[in-house]
Amino acid sequence: MNKLLYILFFSVLAVKAQTPLSSSEATALKKQVQEQAQKTQTMTVDFVQLKHMDFLSNDIETSGNLSFKKPNLVKWQYLKPFRYSVLFKDQTLYIDDDGKKSDVNLSSNKLFGQLNNLIVNSITGDLFQEQDFEITYFKVADGSEVVFIPKDSKLKKYLSQFHIFFSAQAYVSQVKLVEPSGDYTSILFSNRTVNKPIADAVFTH
Amino acid sequence: MRYLLISITVLLVGCASYPKKQKLTVLDTGKQALSIPYFSNPETDYVYKAGIDVFDNHFSGLLIVKKTDENTHRVVFTTEMGSKIFDFSFQGNLFTINYIQDDLNRKLLLKILEQDFRTLVCENPTIAKGYTLENNSVLEGNINGETHYFYLDGTGQLVKTVFPKKGKASITYSFSKINSDIAREIIINHQSFNLKIILKSI
Repeated sequence: MNKLLYILFFSVLAVKAQTPLSSSEATALKKQVQEQAQKTQTMTVDFVQLKHMDFLSNDIETSGNLSFKKPNLVKWQYLKPFRYSVLFKDQTLYIDDDGKKSDVNLSSNKLFGQLNNLIVNSITGDLFQEQDFEITYFKVADGSEVVFIPKDSKLKKYLSQFHIFFSAQAYVSQVKLVEPSGDYTSILFSNRTVNKPIADAVFTH
Repeated sequence: MRYLLISITVLLVGCASYPKKQKLTVLDTGKQALSIPYFSNPETDYVYKAGIDVFDNHFSGLLIVKKTDENTHRVVFTTEMGSKIFDFSFQGNLFTINYIQDDLNRKLLLKILEQDFRTLVCENPTIAKGYTLENNSVLEGNINGETHYFYLDGTGQLVKTVFPKKGKASITYSFSKINSDIAREIIINHQSFNLKIILKSI
């Protein structure tokens, strides 16, 4: 009987893998992430994006790489299964759809601007604005998970919450954006290179 | 009098039906049926890279279609980065908007999208008549109360659907690169105004 209780106890623990961070652990994580963000001048990283929709048999997988240069140049380049890139630069979103170029003015499109900020901040990890989000911190295998619930009602319509997973070294390893319907987009990062020069051409439209 | 005759002739030609204008020959083969396979497999996630050219603007994203039930299709459009733009369900004649971004929630746009995607996912239109045109057969049928023309190639494969207006093609749906009942390339072309949707299977 004791053995059974013992097994039950540990099974419950195993299922409940998300343990909240104590406030001092959360503060330490924030500090570590912000220090990393401050040190990061440039970054390139590969990504795999999975779009999950409940009615589909499989998630839709796309992949490519991402380049970041301080203060706010970001380029997402999708390479598989199609070529497509978006460049966030000077309040404008430059799109290259396999050679067809277009742009979107972010200052006239508040939502896109907000999403851009989210993206920049989630890559650098410098994203702990308590005034904009309800934030909770968890311990997970190999690092931490931070859950953000937007306070802005307009943003909430698109995004009910998003999760950022940090590695033990406080780098962003995964971002998960959850829609109000429960469908979500997961972006998994790998092969990170930090503070190596990036050719200007990468950020040219 | 001559002018009147000319005017009447022009008027009559102008009002000629789509089959007459396209010089389709009526085919008397009795009752025909058409089964369109391109979105018919409930096991398949149909995912397309979509390019939309409207006037001088270019938009793009992913179009996802899934047959979720015997009579139901889900049609979702997202950006490449994963944000949902719209999410529709077609169940028989019923059209449900599960989600649409606020700035796109416009009556006219919704009407166009409903028409385009209803025609795209329709599997068994009611066929009224058959015609021939050179080596192809053309079936006249009905989707949700609207007459459409379905162009089949020599092997009986659907290569084009036309929605006519005033005897001319108003919207054409072209299916090409067909492989294992999947049309790898689909072009929806609105002739009446500058709107073209190009779908490439990924």
